[in-house]
Amino acid sequence: MASGYAGKFLLVNLTDKACTDFSVDDPILKKFIGGSCLGAKLFLDRYPVDVDPLAPECPLMIMTGPMVGSGFPGTSRFSICAKSPQTGIWGESACGGTFGPDLKRAGYDGIVIEGKAPSPVYLSITDEGPQIIDASEFWGKDIYEVTNIFKEMNPSFKVLAIGPAGENLVKIAAIGNDKGHFSGRTGLGATMGSKNLKAIVVRGSTKIEKAHDEGYREAQKRAIQEVKDSALAEGLHMMGSDANMDLGMITGDVPVKNWTVGEDFLLSSSLSGPTMRETYLTKAHACSNCPVACKRIVKVDEGPFKTDEGPGPEYETCGTFGTMLMNPDLAGVIKANEWCNKFGMDTISCGSAIALAMELYEKGTLSKDEVDGLDLSWGNMDAVMELIRKIAYREGFGDVLADGSLKAAQKIGRDAMDAVVHVKGLEAPMHDPRGFHGMGLAYMMSNRGACHLQHAVLATEQGMASWPQLFDMKDDYQGTTSEGKAALVFNSENYGILFNSLAICHYVAYIIKPETILDAFNAITGWNLGFDELLQAGMRDWTIKRGFNNLLGITSKDDKLPKRIMTAHTEGGAAGSIPDEKLLLKEYYALRGLDERGYPLQEKLEDLGLDDLKTRLYR
Amino acid sequence: MAKFKAMTQEWLDAYKAAIEADPEYKPMAKDWEGSVALVCNPDPSKGVPETIYIFMDYWHGDVGEFLVCDKAKAESATFVMTGDYSRWKQVALKELDSTKALLQGKLKMRGDLPYVVRNIKTVNKVIDILGNVDTLWPDEM
Repeated sequence: MASGYAGKFLLVNLTDKACTDFSVDDPILKKFIGGSCLGAKLFLDRYPVDVDPLAPECPLMIMTGPMVGSGFPGTSRFSICAKSPQTGIWGESACGGTFGPDLKRAGYDGIVIEGKAPSPVYLSITDEGPQIIDASEFWGKDIYEVTNIFKEMNPSFKVLAIGPAGENLVKIAAIGNDKGHFSGRTGLGATMGSKNLKAIVVRGSTKIEKAHDEGYREAQKRAIQEVKDSALAEGLHMMGSDANMDLGMITGDVPVKNWTVGEDFLLSSSLSGPTMRETYLTKAHACSNCPVACKRIVKVDEGPFKTDEGPGPEYETCGTFGTMLMNPDLAGVIKANEWCNKFGMDTISCGSAIALAMELYEKGTLSKDEVDGLDLSWGNMDAVMELIRKIAYREGFGDVLADGSLKAAQKIGRDAMDAVVHVKGLEAPMHDPRGFHGMGLAYMMSNRGACHLQHAVLATEQGMASWPQLFDMKDDYQGTTSEGKAALVFNSENYGILFNSLAICHYVAYIIKPETILDAFNAITGWNLGFDELLQAGMRDWTIKRGFNNLLGITSKDDKLPKRIMTAHTEGGAAGSIPDEKLLLKEYYALRGLDERGYPLQEKLEDLGLDDLKTRLYR
Repeated sequence: MAKFKAMTQEWLDAYKAAIEADPEYKPMAKDWEGSVALVCNPDPSKGVPETIYIFMDYWHGDVGEFLVCDKAKAESATFVMTGDYSRWKQVALKELDSTKALLQGKLKMRGDLPYVVRNIKTVNKVIDILGNVDTLWPDEM
């Protein structure tokens, strides 16, 4: 067994209430590393891709990577993977927090969950082994409540849980770790709910062996110094990810009023990281072993959106429940974030679906009767709060939005489709491709739909990081140009996609030099990989997930940006700018080795050692 | 039109005059409080034999002292930004965005980062104006 791994995976069959261990051979680990890449490999090897995402036969996988539990900065991560209930294609969502390291210390590199329990259960994994335990009394409780219950049982438990949204099979449902960390995207909370699995708790104490302790310690020391020297780290610590709000409004990165307005500095000023720091921030918070501490702990003392002290919103949430809804009230964003956390819903998808509804309400496409009598005027956060609750419980108009924006628009009909900003069924995160054309290509080619975390384009195109030691890079990229972006996206994908396999936090990986990360990885595993092999692994990671999606019918026709993004703003940092889709895709397809259907070429699959996938795609 | 040798007092005077002449600057900078020092690391191969220290005083849209100064004066500034000559030149020529340079570690800053982020439009404005000063760069002389 390779160093850095716990050495076994847990297979849980909830139908049979059976838990068994299995192992993955070292050559497979070396090729697919861990996290969501290994998850895709396991899915393709063991399960039919055409399975119904909410059927008992569909697996839910919780995967760590070889760096998790090592103590290296940013390596608290884990990826939850399945076929997405929201999009019907490959689904994955990475998460920080506390769960990943403890799962490793409890003896498992990952968990594969099959079947469906006849009644609600939770899974307990400790040094003594796994147990499936009745959770009937916890069903219906929100994520904060159930997490508190488990913490009262044992303060050392690390809790992964769903809320009412997951129980109600809301297809934008999230899974929460210890209340403040979420696997939000692609609706995997519904997968967990479909299995009657309320929670997983872990507690482990076994040390994970490293191949070269001294080499590791040297790399870790460098990493910590690099964090200390980094202005990005300082900014994230002081302002959280919402540091992007002020900067992004200038560059045209921040979507406003459901992507229809190019700039609004009053909104960004009200919702920014510095404002949160001056108003509601009580302290910064860190995932396990993270010296950056970018998480926000906030408290709203008074007013209609009063909250207890608790996890605060990320930049994405300040976008979806702030600028997107024309809501300047940061307290309202904090409350919406708290409710999404408690109910267990992705704040990007939920806020985007509500923005869609507000636009259609303003246009008269949706009448007041159709939205249960709510006044969905822009910025009406009282109505937003009620709508969040309705979505989580699939009540009335909430049921229309509960499957995500694309399906909501399809149900509503009329001109609704023109107002949905998605790729492959997943709502775009809060980075406007009109301001950054490379991000547009990255959205088109991300394997889980529009996504900013399946690659490192956010870092390279916006200038948070520069990695000339990894690939050819300019010092500065203009956002509003498509020239040269295909190569930037291709290379940034090959490196950035690995963050979800190793597994390491994106932000930390933007801060710490690639050579330091690679040195730590090699010291942990003992593999001595070079950059070329690392980037080859990234290519394999992207390609296996693309193949998964190709098997489900995804082709080049699905690699496109929505109409709204292809309509230029008349004001703001991105005025007059739209990505050159044709140029971007032509250059990217050539680099990636995709044929005109959008399938990986046979020789590319052979180069990457994906022969089984080649057989299935070209049978 | 006269060219000013970069990071000299004449160049700073021209820069200050350009800021004062810009009609957008004063209203944009009305909330800005604090002096800024630029520190340019020596690079003899580029015609910069010694560290250059620059002090610039900004207050509520007005500009005060703009001086080539000593180390102590520079370090007294509210914000101190340090970088290599080639990076400062890239920033002035708009080949490298100053925020990106900061995030990538190509420039270093001491000071209240959230304050800078909140006032990033003002920061970008003065850098934009710097690009308009007709500059003679030491490595091009």
